[in-house]
Amino acid sequence: MTDARNQIVDALDIESYLLCESEAEAKTRIAQLMQSLGLARHVIVSLDFNGPGAHFRVRAYMNQPGDHYTWLQP
Amino acid sequence: MKILLAPLDPVHDAGLKLIRRKLEALGYACVLLPPDITVEEIGEAALRENVEMIFIGRTVGYGVEQLFQRVKTVLTQQGVFGKIRVAIGGMAVNDELARRLGFEGGFGPRTRIEEIHALVERNPDLARAVTHPVKDKPTFPYAHTYAVHCAETRNYLDQIVDGILDWVADKTSPGIRRAHITEAQLHEVQGSVEEYTALPFTREYLDQCDAAVGDFFQKNICPPTVRQITQDEVRAYLRRIETAKKHFHPRVLQQDRKQPLVFVQYGTGCPLMDGMHIKVAESAGADGVLHFDPAWGARTEGLMDGFLTNAEDGTPVTYANLWLIKCSLDRATLWSVRAHRGLNTPEIAVLAGFLGADLTKINIGYGSICGGTDPARLTVDGVEAMRIAVRHDMPFDIPTNEELAGVPPHKAFAGMLIMAQLGRRLGAKPILKPLLCHGPYIMVQGLMDQNYVDYNFAKIRALQALADFPIWPGEPIGFMTHDEEKVRSAATTALHAELGASLGVDAVTTASTDEAFSRGPITSAGRAAALHGIGETFRFFGETDLAPSPRVDAWTEELTVQIRRTLKTVAAAPSFVEALYAGLLGNKDDGAYPGRAGRDSVITVARPKKSGRPGATSAKQRSAPALTTP
Repeated sequence: MTDARNQIVDALDIESYLLCESEAEAKTRIAQLMQSLGLARHVIVSLDFNGPGAHFRVRAYMNQPGDHYTWLQP
Repeated sequence: MKILLAPLDPVHDAGLKLIRRKLEALGYACVLLPPDITVEEIGEAALRENVEMIFIGRTVGYGVEQLFQRVKTVLTQQGVFGKIRVAIGGMAVNDELARRLGFEGGFGPRTRIEEIHALVERNPDLARAVTHPVKDKPTFPYAHTYAVHCAETRNYLDQIVDGILDWVADKTSPGIRRAHITEAQLHEVQGSVEEYTALPFTREYLDQCDAAVGDFFQKNICPPTVRQITQDEVRAYLRRIETAKKHFHPRVLQQDRKQPLVFVQYGTGCPLMDGMHIKVAESAGADGVLHFDPAWGARTEGLMDGFLTNAEDGTPVTYANLWLIKCSLDRATLWSVRAHRGLNTPEIAVLAGFLGADLTKINIGYGSICGGTDPARLTVDGVEAMRIAVRHDMPFDIPTNEELAGVPPHKAFAGMLIMAQLGRRLGAKPILKPLLCHGPYIMVQGLMDQNYVDYNFAKIRALQALADFPIWPGEPIGFMTHDEEKVRSAATTALHAELGASLGVDAVTTASTDEAFSRGPITSAGRAAALHGIGETFRFFGETDLAPSPRVDAWTEELTVQIRRTLKTVAAAPSFVEALYAGLLGNKDDGAYPGRAGRDSVITVARPKKSGRPGATSAKQRSAPALTTP
């Protein structure tokens, strides 16, 4: 069966709430998380640190305009 | 048919009461049991009442699967299950779960009565109107008189329009010459994309182009971020689109009032990605889409050809690219190809017209003082583009994005009204496209410090007071009110769409939830999210309008006076072009500067004879771009 990741049109967003003590820590931990998921090509879309941690959305692009799209591969 | 409705819940039975009311209205006899009963009591009641069908509702979602497994077991032991038809419903129930457990069907929070009716009658056609709604392409723009209400305003506009038409009468440009060449070629091949793309380009055409376009055709050199799309990619893409079309059912965002229509702007850089975004937007309820080309395309003389993808924002305009995008559209989707602001304005209008685009976009003022194109050049080209739009029966919209540079709304609107009146004189159907935005001028003046409603109301009402033209706020609505957080971004877009609905506008162009995100391409999910927000907001407000505060009246009056005063000043200028250079519709203090692309390229000669595509060409024949049409 085709890997679901190849069927993603453009990007995979992950949104969650991370317990941490600073915005910098949040960014470090989000980068670690994405590395551990094998999603190296990522960017933080939004991050709101306050109180117990950070509400964040991070995005990993699977296909960017101009790429040879995985969803067109045989 | 007699139906038993049984709430398997300690207290809640509202959903079943609603179903009872609607089923009874359809002529069914219903028996509704009280809440807080046992499964055994439900089975006993079904046998006692001699019903033909049972609906069991469960509001609480936890453990619902186990609960309904037990329901089935008990009803089977009672001799009910198998003898009487049983369907289930609730917050955590759906049809798939119900059928997996062996029930006849399931209904969840968004189930419509038509679907329940279809289940009762075992006739899916009864729900087809809601499960497979039919969406036809609307006749757009909607009917308007195009009348300018105020005589003084009309006189200024007519005076300016007379001046523009007189000024351009003996002028042409390389852009117009290319448009004529392209139009003749397309006539010759009757619009066929295969034949057009296979044509060798003429020296006559290349003589009117910049070196980059010459290099493309003669040396096969693409701009740095552009590559040709392969035949295999095109074939695979068209198969994808056909599959998507097979599974597509239209979604309608509007409630009882049919407007505003909702448009989405695409222009990811790649026609294949654009097409996929269009399919996503259509599936989320978009009524129309707009093509955005790259900024460098507007500043380059001449268009390339074939299937081209760009790794940056803006999808290159080529006949083949536009054709590919057209192949992606649902039959009900309105399609606009913007021509308006660059050196290829007339030629793009030709391509759009031959491909059957529903709409195009032209604004000489904006393109001249904020789009980077020389005012004289764009005035000549813009008038020609309007004539082309008329020939192809394409209404055109007039964007006023100069507000984003800091130009006050009254100056932007004065320019827009001039374009509208010019379009009418040429026989076109112009559409006013004001911004609903928190633009720089508005920020500096503090006009939206209290809310985003009042001043936007005043802007639209001022236009409505001056003339009866179609109004289509964009591009997109809510500009500069968005941020990177998805929910906030969807909310502000949706509320601006509702603002448009309350003002009775014809259409709006929505943002995606990535509008304020600039560190990567816009995503298809971001487009869908904004459309979902709009649908919910339209549902929430229905036909109820937003009510602005009384200060709107004073702002509306002030704007109409300022617009009229601006028109008077432009009418008094030696020419419209000189008015643009002089900053009468936006000056350096407003963040507007006359563009330089195409400066000194206007040719004051008699209009050149129409040049068909000659068979003989001295230009080196380019290698044919990848192209296969099914």
